[in-house]
Amino acid sequence: MDFTNQVILIFSLLLMASVLASLFSARLGMPVLLVFLVLGMLMGEDGPGGIEFEDVQSAHLLGSLALAVILFDGGLRTDAGSFRVGLKPALSLAIIGVAFTAAITGVAATWLLNLPWLFGLLIGAIVGSTDAAAVFSVLHSRGLELKQRVGATLEIESGSNDPMAIFLTIGLVELLAAGKSELDWTMLSSFAQQFGLGGILGVAGGFVLLWLLNRLRLAAGLYPLLAMSGGMVLFGVTSSLGGSGFLAIYLAGLILGNRPLQAARNIRRFHDGIAWLSQISMFLVLGLLVTPSELVTTAPQAMAVALVLIFLARPVAVTLSLLPFGFAWREQLFVGWVGLRGAVPIILALFPLLAGLEYADTIFNIAFFVVLVSLIVQGWTVAPAARWLGLEIPPRTASWQRVDLDIPGAFEYELVGYRLEADSPATGRLIGALALPDRSRLVALIRGEQLLGPEVPEVKFEKDDHVYLLAAAQAIEALDRIFITVRTPERLKAQQFFGEFVLNGDAKLADVAGFYGFPIPDEAVDASIADYFRRRFHNQPVIGDRIRVSGVEMVVRDIKEGVVVQVGLRLAQKTD
Amino acid sequence: MELADLLSPSRVSTGLPAASKKRALEELSGLMAAEDPALTQKDIFDSLLSRERLGSTGLGHGVAIPHGRLKKSQRVLAAFVRLENAVDYDAVDHEPVDLMFALLVPEESTDEHLQLLSQLAQMFSDPELLDRLRSAGDSDSLYRLIKNWQP
Repeated sequence: MDFTNQVILIFSLLLMASVLASLFSARLGMPVLLVFLVLGMLMGEDGPGGIEFEDVQSAHLLGSLALAVILFDGGLRTDAGSFRVGLKPALSLAIIGVAFTAAITGVAATWLLNLPWLFGLLIGAIVGSTDAAAVFSVLHSRGLELKQRVGATLEIESGSNDPMAIFLTIGLVELLAAGKSELDWTMLSSFAQQFGLGGILGVAGGFVLLWLLNRLRLAAGLYPLLAMSGGMVLFGVTSSLGGSGFLAIYLAGLILGNRPLQAARNIRRFHDGIAWLSQISMFLVLGLLVTPSELVTTAPQAMAVALVLIFLARPVAVTLSLLPFGFAWREQLFVGWVGLRGAVPIILALFPLLAGLEYADTIFNIAFFVVLVSLIVQGWTVAPAARWLGLEIPPRTASWQRVDLDIPGAFEYELVGYRLEADSPATGRLIGALALPDRSRLVALIRGEQLLGPEVPEVKFEKDDHVYLLAAAQAIEALDRIFITVRTPERLKAQQFFGEFVLNGDAKLADVAGFYGFPIPDEAVDASIADYFRRRFHNQPVIGDRIRVSGVEMVVRDIKEGVVVQVGLRLAQKTD
Repeated sequence: MELADLLSPSRVSTGLPAASKKRALEELSGLMAAEDPALTQKDIFDSLLSRERLGSTGLGHGVAIPHGRLKKSQRVLAAFVRLENAVDYDAVDHEPVDLMFALLVPEESTDEHLQLLSQLAQMFSDPELLDRLRSAGDSDSLYRLIKNWQP
């Protein structure tokens, strides 16, 4: 009894401390995962907490479980639209990139630590993948809005490169456990099996789960649970059949997140919370597991491995993997920099321990140290790096309140609410004069406790009004622009960023040049603006891409189905 | 080139009852044509309209800066109107437009003209100026507001 109560108390205190610490980390710009990890270390045997925790098996179980949940949530949140620009480069990074990163880091580790070369390679494989939890949390923190080519590539990469690192690690651990000291071709077939099964089962299972969720009538609170348990079943089944469960659950999340889905918002909100819980508990437990005093003994070598990884292996691997995709050097540099390592390497470093391999302790400590360095050095500097390399774009607005209605057959309709501020674009305008986007309708206006409207066209919107609209998901972005004030830093103000005027994508470049008296290159004489951007950006232009023609600059403002529909024209470059 | 030199009180008009974007552009063309005998209202209107076809010159917040280039014109010309009722202008923020500043430049365009347009865009994104322009009583005070504006 007493033991139970104490465990509950300690864990709930830790959880609460972690939640509160996230406030503190946001203020310092510190990656929140680092806070959890350090908190775990402080609670461990060398810190004031003094908790002895050495149970590798349960840490591995918890870690895998948490990782699966985080990937599922990541899939739910990934917009399939970003696959248009991000998928191919991300896959190249996830497969070729991880292999190169592992190889270069592995050679360095072999030499630095004076290990047999398969063990060195094992270290390379363990720290080879970027971490989905870390990348998602850094990219989504503090309203950082990146050019889609970069943001989408990094997100999809981090969601899909774990299987590659896991496969490399498990392959090497099995070879070493069998007493071999050379690479073996069986690794290649196991690789195909991991990816093939994970991919097929993930997509098929995702659609089955989608069908089930939309078909069943359950109590509202059970939909998120059905989604999560379904994802977990998929993870378990795929893994037991020898496929990559992590890939499968990520794909299933992706499918659920991008199709009309019953109780979608409910499911998302639940998973948002549960993904936080998973991150916190995973990092806490991993922090508890490590013995910080042992880290010190291999610290210089581990530091050297981390530096090789960050400054040599990752940048080289990124450059090689992105060669066919025409990324600008700034974009490549940034992708190289956001090679955040997180929980995955630490969990992978548990495999050698579980298999009882020689050097397993050293490997674990090195991996842990590398993750710490990566979180500190890279995690802390992602936002400034994005700014410095000019990869930020003006942020989109977000609604204040959204409620699923789950109208049978029309799941895409939602109830959206806004609270007007003194400087909201709609404030002071007549209700009747408001031009609302298609598939949206004003349903209520609440002032104080009074229900006004919607049939009051002669009333003006006032500050502190609550406005409710029924709207299809596609209309919400346009509604946000009407009701929300965007407070952006000066350098990202639309006029500063996109320029003074707008041009349609189908306008002929020659006609535009005629109006503003700038010369255009010969090959562009017949091209429309959209064509020109498509050619210059390898068929995949994204918002924020810019082309300069003698003094004026065109910046992509809007894209529909991969085609540039609107560009901004910047006449004066005041801040460059 | 100063903005104030381009405009004269005769080319500022207030309370114009235009019902559409085209009608408003015609009115502006008329104001500018009256100034230069070499230009016809139709030439100016065609030039402004063909620019609009490449993309709306509506800047947002109810302001538009239609502009064009003409062979026959000898110098830079401007006109400003405040419409009685805002008209649908296909602007970036989908808001209807009631303040319009038109600019016409000669064929041999220079960087100076680009600077001028940029300066206009900056001027008409000043919310304080827009408020004053909308509440000003007559065309003379509109003219003075524009002439005296400082960034």
